Amino acid sequence: MTQSPHDDPSEPTSEEDDLAEIELTDDDILEAMREIPGYLDITTMDFRAVYHLAHRHALDRLFSGITAGRLMRREVRPLTPDIPLAEAIPSFVRQGLKSLPVVDGQRRVIGILTETDVLGGLGAETFLALMARVIADAKCIKSEQHHRPVGELMTAPVVSVPLHAGLREILAAFASHPGRAMPVLTTDGRLAGLLPRKVFLNACHPDRRP
Amino acid sequence: MRLKGYLSKMRGSVHGSPPRVSLPEVLWSWTGAFLGIAAVAWLNQWFFAGTDLTLAIGSLGASAVLVFGAVRSPLAQPRNLIGGHVLSALVGVTCWQWLGGEPWLAQSLAVATAIALMHLTRTLHPPGGATALIAVIGSDQVHAMGYLFVLLPATLGPLVLLAVALLFNNLPAARRYPEFWL
Repeated sequence: MTQSPHDDPSEPTSEEDDLAEIELTDDDILEAMREIPGYLDITTMDFRAVYHLAHRHALDRLFSGITAGRLMRREVRPLTPDIPLAEAIPSFVRQGLKSLPVVDGQRRVIGILTETDVLGGLGAETFLALMARVIADAKCIKSEQHHRPVGELMTAPVVSVPLHAGLREILAAFASHPGRAMPVLTTDGRLAGLLPRKVFLNACHPDRRP
Repeated sequence: MRLKGYLSKMRGSVHGSPPRVSLPEVLWSWTGAFLGIAAVAWLNQWFFAGTDLTLAIGSLGASAVLVFGAVRSPLAQPRNLIGGHVLSALVGVTCWQWLGGEPWLAQSLAVATAIALMHLTRTLHPPGGATALIAVIGSDQVHAMGYLFVLLPATLGPLVLLAVALLFNNLPAARRYPEFWL
């Protein structure tokens, strides 16, 4: 019930490659070659090819410490599809999270319940929309909603990443959906932890890296 | 193979030719090549004139282009300069001795095998192809030398160029040689 963000993570022309890499023109390279005295036995084509591949290797080296397994929060307590919303909401608050994975009896991830899902269940697009309704009518949250099970409201299928996912794979996965956190899965599809977007971004920030 | 793609490869990629080097650079290349070939030719004249041996072969001119004109090129490094000539000479002499009766075959086999061997040993040095060809085409003097051709022009010649390149290419501030030895 989980989906992989893209079919082939080794696909060389994915969008995230271009994030930090500038496309060099022939003139850029020729100008640089003019600045180096002596004859350089290389064509602009070759230089670009070497630059492109070397850039990839440098990125891989710089961010080799970033894997989903090392960044994820392990202590996350998942939901099950049958528990009612009234029990699920306090679980969010206790854990300080805005999304929680939903697992079956074997801890296999079958969905994710997000703040947006909860708000949607309560008939509001955003938290502020809900506030506006509460201000207008204190009884607007109908109590029958409290008993709706998590399984009815959760987002499924859920985008997840494997434990060994690195920078490129995590980046592509976050870019492919609006969620703020992703379940991290073991090789047999069970929940290993939860990777919040904020934690991932901090790990990528060059100034905050160890 | 799709014909259109095949033909479009022949157009080349936009403008890949490296820029012209500065005038001082031209002068350094000129001087280096002059000294390198002078050393080879002088030694040849004084020690081998009138003998059955020779030190000066045409392919050393090509080596001078690389060693003094494209100093940074991997093709111009000592491993390639010496290794390329020695291996190619071995191949060339062998081809001449085994297949000398079929000159066209001996010649083409010598150059092709020399390239393959230089690739395999990471000693690719374009003048090596010339050395292999010279060993087959000859002069009679070259043919008469047999495997001595490998030692005398094909090892000693590049060694002289190497010595001059080491002494000369490290004089200008903007040059250094070699980039690597082995």
